[in-house]
Amino acid sequence: MTTQTDGTAIATARDLVKVYGQGPMAVRALDGVDVDLVRGELTAIMGPSGSGKSTLMHCLAGLDRPTSGAVVVDGQEISALSERRLTQLRRTRVGFVFQAYNLIPTLTALENITLPLDIARRPVDRAHLEHVVDTLGLRDRLTHKPAELSGGQQQRVACARALVARPAIVFADEPTGNLDSSSSAEVLGFLRRSVDELGQSVVMVTHDPTSAGYAHRVLFLADGRVVGELRDPTAERVLDALAGLRTAGRP
Amino acid sequence: MIRVALRGIRAHVVRFALSVLAVALGVAFVAGTFALRSMLSSTFSDIVATTTLGDAYVRGSHEAGGPSGADLSAGTQYNRVPLTLVDDLERVDGVAAAIPDLQGPVVLVGADGTAVQSSQAPSFAFGYDPRDRATHLVAGRAPRDGSEIGLESQTLRASGLALGDRTRVVVGGKIQPVTVVGELGVGAALAGATVVFLDPATAQAAFAPDGDVAHVAVNGDPGVTQDELVQRLAPVVHAADVDARVVTGDAERAQARAQIMSLLGFVTTFLLVFAAIALFVGAFIIANTFAMWVRQRMRELALLRAVGASPLQVFASIVLQAALVGVVGAALGLAGGLGLVVLLRTVLANLGMHLAGRIPVDGFTIVVSVLVGTAVSVVAAAIPARRAALVPPVEALRDEVTVPERSLHRRAVLGLVVLVVGIAGVLVAVRRPDAPRASSWLGAGAAGVLLGVLLVSPVVARSVLRVLGAPVVAWRPVGRLARGNVTRNPRRTANTAGALMIGMALVGAAAVIAATTQASTRAIVEHEATTDFILRVAPSATVPQQALADVRAVPGVRAADAFASGGVLVRVGSGTDARAAGSLAITGIDPAAVGRSIRTDVVAGDFPGALRAGEVAVQRSTAHDRDWSVGDRLTLVGTSGQVPATIGAVIDSPAFGVPLVVGQGVLDRLVPTAQQQVTTVFVTAEPGTDLTALRAGLTDAVRPYLVVSVLDSEQFVSQLADQVNRVLVILYALLGLSVVIAVLGIVNTLALSVIERTREIGLLRAVGLGRLQLGSTITVESVLTAVFGTAVGLVVGVALASTLPRLYADQGLRTLAVPWGSLGLMLVLAVVVGVLAAAWPAVRAARLPVLEAVSVE
Repeated sequence: MTTQTDGTAIATARDLVKVYGQGPMAVRALDGVDVDLVRGELTAIMGPSGSGKSTLMHCLAGLDRPTSGAVVVDGQEISALSERRLTQLRRTRVGFVFQAYNLIPTLTALENITLPLDIARRPVDRAHLEHVVDTLGLRDRLTHKPAELSGGQQQRVACARALVARPAIVFADEPTGNLDSSSSAEVLGFLRRSVDELGQSVVMVTHDPTSAGYAHRVLFLADGRVVGELRDPTAERVLDALAGLRTAGRP
Repeated sequence: MIRVALRGIRAHVVRFALSVLAVALGVAFVAGTFALRSMLSSTFSDIVATTTLGDAYVRGSHEAGGPSGADLSAGTQYNRVPLTLVDDLERVDGVAAAIPDLQGPVVLVGADGTAVQSSQAPSFAFGYDPRDRATHLVAGRAPRDGSEIGLESQTLRASGLALGDRTRVVVGGKIQPVTVVGELGVGAALAGATVVFLDPATAQAAFAPDGDVAHVAVNGDPGVTQDELVQRLAPVVHAADVDARVVTGDAERAQARAQIMSLLGFVTTFLLVFAAIALFVGAFIIANTFAMWVRQRMRELALLRAVGASPLQVFASIVLQAALVGVVGAALGLAGGLGLVVLLRTVLANLGMHLAGRIPVDGFTIVVSVLVGTAVSVVAAAIPARRAALVPPVEALRDEVTVPERSLHRRAVLGLVVLVVGIAGVLVAVRRPDAPRASSWLGAGAAGVLLGVLLVSPVVARSVLRVLGAPVVAWRPVGRLARGNVTRNPRRTANTAGALMIGMALVGAAAVIAATTQASTRAIVEHEATTDFILRVAPSATVPQQALADVRAVPGVRAADAFASGGVLVRVGSGTDARAAGSLAITGIDPAAVGRSIRTDVVAGDFPGALRAGEVAVQRSTAHDRDWSVGDRLTLVGTSGQVPATIGAVIDSPAFGVPLVVGQGVLDRLVPTAQQQVTTVFVTAEPGTDLTALRAGLTDAVRPYLVVSVLDSEQFVSQLADQVNRVLVILYALLGLSVVIAVLGIVNTLALSVIERTREIGLLRAVGLGRLQLGSTITVESVLTAVFGTAVGLVVGVALASTLPRLYADQGLRTLAVPWGSLGLMLVLAVVVGVLAAAWPAVRAARLPVLEAVSVE
């Protein structure tokens, strides 16, 4: 199934297959996935455990290599890139927010935020940095070490780091998985605003319908395939869609 | 729990491998030291057993001076006995032969025209008596007169000569053309000594011109026991009214062996000090390994506790692992140490120094090695094991296991106290360098300072590393990340660097001592020697009397002043109420030499006057230690006689370097000329002589003697400096081992912290850190750690060594010199060491798959 949208694609996957293991033990984590992630949108990828949503994101982000199929990120085919080029891709065109352990404990919040720029040895765009920091409300936390920040603050620092280098696309892997609901709302609200106000493209893997409700579009995965899609979702509609999938999936 | 402990080791073989290696290196040193000692002692015991074969010995009845340097029997000496006894002894019933000991220094000219000599081993000539059981003829025949010699088998091979060849020997101070007529065997490895046999008459003329010998060996007839022989000989000796007594062959051999053992004891102690340092450094690594291992496995240990393991069981499981590491490491180390000794023996044999063939693996060596290895491991692991045992079970249920990092407060306080006490000890020594226990104060103080610095180092690590890391921070992002990593856990960084700190403190101290010794030597020679040329002799040889005469005959030579040395036993007072005051080295010079070729600082009395009057001059430090002053009466007891001597002067002269100085005439009455050792001769030119021509003349004069060289004072200083450098090289080689172990420690810590930081590394790689950047980060961490350890160690070592000139001015350490160049080189070396140590952990880290790393639990 191919998804169709109005906007141009920032990242696409075509007939993406990922097999772990060999022979009778082989597991098809992705089984012919075609997706187009729209530029300037917040896309949520949902699905039950083992549906392949994380694998899809890792392949799209250049963290994992697909067994077959093509991945294009920001106009570049990445499935056959060398490790060196993949590192460059991650350094310059991709931002990450992980579920936990997002920050380098020895660096201050500010140093963590500018880490991708430091790694790439690119100059820091001061105005942009100030804007991101203020938007995330981190101004008075910049000199703190991660250990001195709350979980929500840590995830906000991680978001700032993902955004400050102006990547083509930000991948967020269960960004609120470890947070309480109010911190989650802050982080998700910020991710949505970064799309609406800064024109950032964001892809988020989640299993939480409330989180998915912040997205422009939700893709549903099951057994390594895209099995559904929802535009302008709310938490209720996501729940309904999930319930529908569950019924449909039943033999 | 035992199974858990064993599985734990099996699952992390690599993690323990470096600890095992560290133990193995330390134990190898210990085992090697003991094995070397056994090998040396069996070599020298063999020499005693095969050369001291008499059934009874007649020797002097009272002790007379220490080693004179030109005698095989280093150790206690007795007054000499007259050769006239030999005939009386041979007439005794049951005596097969009475053989006087006729031995002395010799120079043998080999086939290539140079002196036959291997490494530092001495050359001896013996009078050959066919009745002597120690030697047997292998080929040819015995030497019959002064124009013939026999050579010991190994010496014959080393010399390149063959039976029938003509060559020269320098014996009894004269050059002698000779023919090699016989090969003789002594049935023992002689440790490289060059051994020449002469006919008895020639040997007697050369080594016993005054008719006295060190002892007479007596062989009994078959069936006569040693005790019977002694009983029969004693009345004869008594009747001869000489100052001599008879002992059994067994007693003589036992004494000889005991003397060798006590000499080897020094060597063993010296080596064991370095082995202890290596093990101490190794213990650091083991402690660090287990500390990190416990940290990483907090959750697993908490789980064990939650399912019912007692703290004692957890503790025991970790200690068991440590013991296993220790036993395996000790076993490897034992094998390695013995291998090292085998290698050393092969190398020495190739250099011409043959040692006994057996590599003794005695139970003692094995037990000590295994015990030391295991004990060090267990003790080192005990502290982390205790911490592991006290993990609350609830930790297992927590999501993020955090190890409460114990405050450094207690350690800081303890460290400061030890440091302050140590500094106080050093200050006590420096303030009162003449106090009787100044050296002990300094030693204890230095140990305290080193230990205190080790304890305090985690506290200061952050600030020191901030400074050291400042230059690399500009290298973004590598510098900042690396500095963050080394300051993140200052305790671990400091412990890792601690191993290097110890080694480098000793290296720094050794470098300062060497430089100071050289600078002091230069200053002493410049201050005291007013001579134009200096004659020096090869190690363990002596300047032949005839060479001295030849030199004096060179036109333009105003004087050639020889410094002859020997050993005497000193008694305070005179006559029967004299008290023994031990054995002291003594030098004899021509009184006219004072002011002519040597300028000596006189503290009290009249130095040249004392020498002319037959009195003795005493060094200031000796006078101070023994509370002697001008006018005190001493009795000097040498091997050939005793001389009452009043202290006529107290001098302060590191150039003499011996406690007692007398006129040459006095020395000749104490020690026979053949037993005196002359290592240095000061040659003064007539005013207005062309020195270049004089030098050529001197060189021509000494050339036939092979072992004598002509130096100007500049060369003399650099030759002395070379000797210091040679010792320094040995020290560096021994300290090198602890540096190698310290490097292993850095590798270990880095490898473990890479494992510990897997997830962080994954994250860094995910956000775009390249492999090279990651590798560079780890390399910079390593270099910072190594430079930190080296810098602190060198500062401590240099500071401590700088106090030595205040304490040991009397021993000639007067001019403090700090070799900044060498110290800088050590810092460069630290950088190299850091880069090397980082290689493997960096490659490992760079190879981590990004995705797995970032999602690792």
